[in-house]
Amino acid sequence: MTEYMGSDDMLTIQTAVDAATGSTAPQAREGDEPPPRSPEHNPIDWLRENLFPNWGNTVLTIVFGGVILVTVRALMRFAFSEERVWGAVWTNVRLSMTYVYPEAQYHRVWISVGLATLLTGLTLAVWRAGDPVARRNIGRVITSFAAMAALAVVLAPFTASTKILWLVGLAILGGAGWAFRRASTHDQAVPPSYVWGAVVALIIAFLWLYPLGHYSFVDGAVQDPQPGTVAFSTKFPWTVVLLVGVAAYLIGTVIRDRLPSARLRPVLLLGWLLLVPVAFMVVLRDPSFDYGYVLGVDIPLYLAFALGGGALLWFVAAPNAGTLGRAVAAITLLVAAGSWGISLWFGVGMLQKVRISFLVLAFFAIAAPTFAGNEKGRRTYVIAWLTFLAVLHYFITITNTPSTVQDLNTPFFTGGFAITFLVSAASLLISFPIGVMMALGRTSKMPIFRVLSTLYIEIIRGVPLITVLFAFDVLLPLFLPANMDPSRVAGIILAMTLFGAAYMAENIRGGLQSVRKGQYEAAEALGMTTAQTTTFIVLPQALRNIIPAMVGGIIATFKETSLLAIVGIFDFLLIYKSIVPNQTAFRSVRWEGLLFVAAVYWVCTYSMSRASRRLERKLGVGTH
Amino acid sequence: MATTTTTHTRPPFWRDAVVMKWLAQVAVLALVLATLFFFANQAGDNLALRDIDTSFDFIDISPGFDISEGIDTKPDTGGRALWVGMVNTFRVAGAGLVMATLLGVLVGVARLSHNWLVQKVASVYVETFRNIPLLVQILFWFAVVTGGLSPLTEETGPIPGWLIISQKGASIPRVFAADGFYQWLVFLVIGAAVGRYVHYRLATKRDTEGGDTRPNLMAFGVLLAFAVVGWFAHPVFSWLGSVFNGIASGIDSIPVPLIQALLAAFIITATVLWIRRFLASFVTPAGRAKMTDDDIFRVVFAGVIGLIGTLVIVRWTGLSSWIHNSGRDFFEFLAAKFSSDRTGQPIDAMKPQVVVPGRFPQLGPSGLTATQWFLPVFIGVVIYTAAFIAEIVRGGILAVAKGQTEAASALGLKRSQLLRLVVLPQAFRIILPPLGNQYLNLVKNTSLAIAVGYADLVNVGTTLQNQSGKAIQVIAIWMLFYLACSLTISVIVNYFNNRMRIVER
Repeated sequence: MTEYMGSDDMLTIQTAVDAATGSTAPQAREGDEPPPRSPEHNPIDWLRENLFPNWGNTVLTIVFGGVILVTVRALMRFAFSEERVWGAVWTNVRLSMTYVYPEAQYHRVWISVGLATLLTGLTLAVWRAGDPVARRNIGRVITSFAAMAALAVVLAPFTASTKILWLVGLAILGGAGWAFRRASTHDQAVPPSYVWGAVVALIIAFLWLYPLGHYSFVDGAVQDPQPGTVAFSTKFPWTVVLLVGVAAYLIGTVIRDRLPSARLRPVLLLGWLLLVPVAFMVVLRDPSFDYGYVLGVDIPLYLAFALGGGALLWFVAAPNAGTLGRAVAAITLLVAAGSWGISLWFGVGMLQKVRISFLVLAFFAIAAPTFAGNEKGRRTYVIAWLTFLAVLHYFITITNTPSTVQDLNTPFFTGGFAITFLVSAASLLISFPIGVMMALGRTSKMPIFRVLSTLYIEIIRGVPLITVLFAFDVLLPLFLPANMDPSRVAGIILAMTLFGAAYMAENIRGGLQSVRKGQYEAAEALGMTTAQTTTFIVLPQALRNIIPAMVGGIIATFKETSLLAIVGIFDFLLIYKSIVPNQTAFRSVRWEGLLFVAAVYWVCTYSMSRASRRLERKLGVGTH
Repeated sequence: MATTTTTHTRPPFWRDAVVMKWLAQVAVLALVLATLFFFANQAGDNLALRDIDTSFDFIDISPGFDISEGIDTKPDTGGRALWVGMVNTFRVAGAGLVMATLLGVLVGVARLSHNWLVQKVASVYVETFRNIPLLVQILFWFAVVTGGLSPLTEETGPIPGWLIISQKGASIPRVFAADGFYQWLVFLVIGAAVGRYVHYRLATKRDTEGGDTRPNLMAFGVLLAFAVVGWFAHPVFSWLGSVFNGIASGIDSIPVPLIQALLAAFIITATVLWIRRFLASFVTPAGRAKMTDDDIFRVVFAGVIGLIGTLVIVRWTGLSSWIHNSGRDFFEFLAAKFSSDRTGQPIDAMKPQVVVPGRFPQLGPSGLTATQWFLPVFIGVVIYTAAFIAEIVRGGILAVAKGQTEAASALGLKRSQLLRLVVLPQAFRIILPPLGNQYLNLVKNTSLAIAVGYADLVNVGTTLQNQSGKAIQVIAIWMLFYLACSLTISVIVNYFNNRMRIVER
């Protein structure tokens, strides 16, 4: 394949966009505010300048205005038509979020969501995320929202009295926004936390006050919607979860000033990394541990590897370990390879955990000279080993422990949005290290690594995801030993991981190429080894440079998980595509579900891309 | 491999970077090969256990199903069915590429419009369609076509008999190559060559002697003249038919081993030339530069690839005889097109037509029809890809240095001229590589057609897989096909990219 396809070109265009958004054409910067000191515009002047500057533009404005009116009118007529059965969406929200997950265990779902909001609150506080929002902009946003809503109301198929009621309400809202804007000066701003707080308060108020109606299933039969607000079993947990987030934010504001952020931030990042597996494997799945086995085998095994491996690493990571250290690392690798070889080729049963631990220990031992240093460095390295091993053993145990919520009739204990989220998060997490390795391989001076990585990346990038999914779904059982029977979801995650890793690798390669040559030369001048240069000098800079591209990759992966519907996994899309139209109460109701799915995906990806743009501006990436 | 200098004593091998690097590489390669071998071994056992074979015989036997649309709806072999699927993929991808480019450029330019409304509409378009998964969009358009459009009757319009848009798809009059088309094409080719020459002469004259000689107009006139004359005179080229017949029988008489020998000789020559050129690049005026172990690897690798290619040609006689037959068939096809009884007009057209074969009316074959399965895939990929192309175009235009536009304005160029003559040519250079990426994505994304039942390669392959149980083979064919498509697009885009590149002194 060809070189130009690399993401260095993507970086070029990214740089181009950044340079552009940074410097030229204020109109091009969508959603951006005018500079604070711009002179006050007369609305008539503004219209003349931006909509009717000359004949050509006047025609354009009229044509596009007409198109907008027609489109909004069609959308409103569609959404509020008598034929629409929006109840099909509201009734199935739970089904679409968790699929077969039992109602009786639903508190586990709320604990998972609560953990996420907790981490979100803490993160926002500790990173001091967000910029102060100018009060004038808040007023402007409220006014323009009211204006757009008023346009929609005018074009909607409501009765005259409903329309008037809405318009009066919106006029009051818009007027309030305008008054707020006029009452504020240019330099008045509110902290971002006020805005978030207001959003949380609005959501809670909506849940408790808005008469959306109460839609539900009882014993699989759809009930007639009850008037009133949403069900207590929905609004109460949401309120608690959101308040947990608020509380976490407040706690975060307190501790961020008392604790050094260099300590706090890694802990929070680790929390985010662990959130997905913990929420899914521990909270939702609820493993039923055999405590005798845990105490008798699992914990001693951990202790043995922790102590033995720790001592070994303490020795190998010493700066003067020299040839003996290397020999010890090589012997560890041989032992690991032997344990795998014996169990695979001679069929000798051996604990999977032991083999994996040996392998990980070998890699730690080989990498030790790179991290070798004084007493403190060695201690950190051993602690890293203990932590990694603990997490690893914990997850191996949990994966191999039967779940108490597993419904025996379904291949997986949950589905819907939960599985969409699980698959995208898991595949992203696992594909990151693979992507880093592949990118390093492709830019390496070692030819066999380069050829292998290039082949892998280009083959994967040359085929559509759906063929890879089909391949893993159909062929994986054929290529594995008969006693290994991975669940379909595991196969799908593997496919998404290997697919995503190729794209991730190309992004990272773009980052690697953006690191200046002087950095390598300086590292060499300091006497660093190639591994040390890569780990401590090149990768940190490369990864920082590609944060926007990575967010693009995350968004792409998230959107791609919708393909699970094609291979028949009951993800978020397939529930509204196949299950809901087959329910007796909602026979062939398709549009509503599809629009709801589209809206949820849109909200997720759009907020991610906005956050990435903000981050990009903050980091100053691309504006060299 | 070790090419360390001998000025100091060599370190022990475990401290020798070159040795250790090669050791690690060979170890990893061995591990990869061992893993692959392990999986292949397992697959062999499992396949034998489940009584699944890995032969490709399904390609030559009846597939046992019909295809909803395409060049052949009742294929008589599995291979033919897959080919129909590939052509359907090409159809939707080709039409999609053109439309997505047009729409994308339009939206991209609109995002930079000075008109506030136009710019906002374009932004909303991009942000909406870029952030919704393509599959959801395709399903949505499928619901729109099958549930939102009017049912098909004789009177379905907007313009009954000319433009039909219905639940069964859309149809417009079809223009197609009729009897004398290929003879007429010869006239066009000659006309284009003469026109180009005329253009060259007139342009030279304009540049040397001044005055407007209107080269474009004159060249176009020449082409038009040839087209008009050829419309009536095209039977004069019927003699080409016997020429092509002769070439076909000539190819037929070449023995297959000769073709094998030619192909093998070509591969060997190409390999040797590449290696010689590579080695020659090390010769500098200061003498021969030292080759690193990486460079030696490149030479060895090229040699191995050449050797494998030669072996494939020699051992796989089927490939050569396929090339042989295809070449003969191609010229026989041309010969048939040039036969002397093809004297009718070169181009013809037919109105779309509603036929009622059973109880339900259908769109007949006479019009140019986009079926209810084609439409959602087509609309979906066009709208989705155009949103990305728009962002690329916008980025490319904004990346053109501001001084360029200012200089152009200072020269007194109008805004349209500025865009056409200064900004777009420079922006194109930046746009091209990511645009090529989007084209690749579009082709790959057409595989989502399976969700709405459009008979593309993946869809046909899935049916074939269910009918015959040949999962491995079908998946291999899919991947090879898409890899070949990706490679082709890469090569084309790369060619233009190299041509467009700024020539640096």
